[in-house]
Amino acid sequence: MAIRKQIYTWELNGDGGDGTDITHYPRAGESHSIFYGDFGNVQAGKQTGFVKEDQFIVIEKMASKPGISANSYTVEGIAPNVNLTKWLPNMFVNIVIDTTNYYQDPQNVYGVGVSGTASPYPREIQEQPYYDLWPPIYVLPFQTIDIRYTLYNDITLSAGAGVWNIIPTTTMLAAVYVEYTLYDGTDAMMAQKLMRLGIPVTVGTVENYRRLLLENKGLETDTFKHYLALMESERKREEKERNNQGLARYNDYTSQD
Amino acid sequence: MSLRRQCYEWRNISDGVKTSFLNGYPVNSVGDVNTTGFLANQPVDIFIGDVGNNIDIPGQLKAFQYVVLDSIAVFPPTLHAQIYVGTTKYFQDPDNVPSRSGGISGFIVPFPNGARWVDSAGGVTNIVNTDYTDGLKPAVIIAPGQVWGVQVTSSFDIASVTNTATEQQIQKCFVKYLLIDGGDAIVARRLLDAGWPLTVENIWKYKQDILKTHLYAGLAPLPTEVVKAKRKV
Repeated sequence: MAIRKQIYTWELNGDGGDGTDITHYPRAGESHSIFYGDFGNVQAGKQTGFVKEDQFIVIEKMASKPGISANSYTVEGIAPNVNLTKWLPNMFVNIVIDTTNYYQDPQNVYGVGVSGTASPYPREIQEQPYYDLWPPIYVLPFQTIDIRYTLYNDITLSAGAGVWNIIPTTTMLAAVYVEYTLYDGTDAMMAQKLMRLGIPVTVGTVENYRRLLLENKGLETDTFKHYLALMESERKREEKERNNQGLARYNDYTSQD
Repeated sequence: MSLRRQCYEWRNISDGVKTSFLNGYPVNSVGDVNTTGFLANQPVDIFIGDVGNNIDIPGQLKAFQYVVLDSIAVFPPTLHAQIYVGTTKYFQDPDNVPSRSGGISGFIVPFPNGARWVDSAGGVTNIVNTDYTDGLKPAVIIAPGQVWGVQVTSSFDIASVTNTATEQQIQKCFVKYLLIDGGDAIVARRLLDAGWPLTVENIWKYKQDILKTHLYAGLAPLPTEVVKAKRKV
């Protein structure tokens, strides 16, 4: 399994209490990791993401729970059993590779990232995304990766308003979703080779490169001539294409003589 | 990280003390969501307009940066967005005057796409972006050194809300752009000179072509004087 489409989700649910436990709910305005932070369902080992020497990662999608206003919550039940059933976290997500933040604001200062309203998870009909992570992000061997969220609606402060008694464990308060492709083993080597050649690293290009290598297996002494012929034919094809498109220049015509 | 998909999101939320909040977003809680109002038909700069979340200075590109601004969205539908680069505004009326309504409205590019809207009669609808699903085509290209920004204009007076602002009462504007910097900015310059659109794919292709050209150069026959030269080793 050398190329695998991976997902990672982080969720923060209620604790069954009233929402005042600061060990369970992150404070607003602080950024925390979805991998090793102190809140939500982080990895048991609490380690940051690390790309091993035989791995190559392409991050393709990142989303979080949408919603802005803390006043647009939903409760059910009668006191003293009023349950919070819907909460808008007003959250942003950022990617950090080694020590570099991916997102910056228009004045070239690190920003808080992309909001759940722009890139929502879970995705609903009335919340279609405007943001897509294109081009994708390459994470190279020996680099560390962290994905950090910041909530701007404070749950513990809101609990003080007394509009609910219980935040059930079934109520999802915040969530982050990450989708990436993991190349490992020989596929990671091919991914690196493609990246150095300036070719986009996708499942298609890596598989194509593997096919090329297998086709040429065993040629050895003839390999050079074979590649030369391949490139020559490619050059001719491109020249022909340029002629057809009307893009050919003087040099193109003289090279055909 | 020389090609990065960036975004900026503006809301008219303040901290309840000042009308704007610099370099970030204010912390809110139930019963403490404040918005800043502004007048109808008065453009408000989303970067430095002193309403909602702002930054210190307008967007200005460094010598090695290009920005390809390809998507914009606003909410509620009565809000309009206008892009400006230097002193030029993007949306204009047929008489060549910058859009009097203030640019593209949330009826066309609602944020988020499919946003729920309650009209003045109390009717509830979900507004969907179908005309600009691929963003601005062609995209707005902002060159090194240029100053850019986005202004929002409301068709109606927007009142300030103290503590009780709900999702429907928050004015929003979202901008998505591709930031090209470093070596890729040089590639971008070459593509622009040749009249090609600045897209991720074109930049990749150009870089591949450069590499391919170098490979061909390496395979070309050596000049005669080099071939016939005496070997030193």
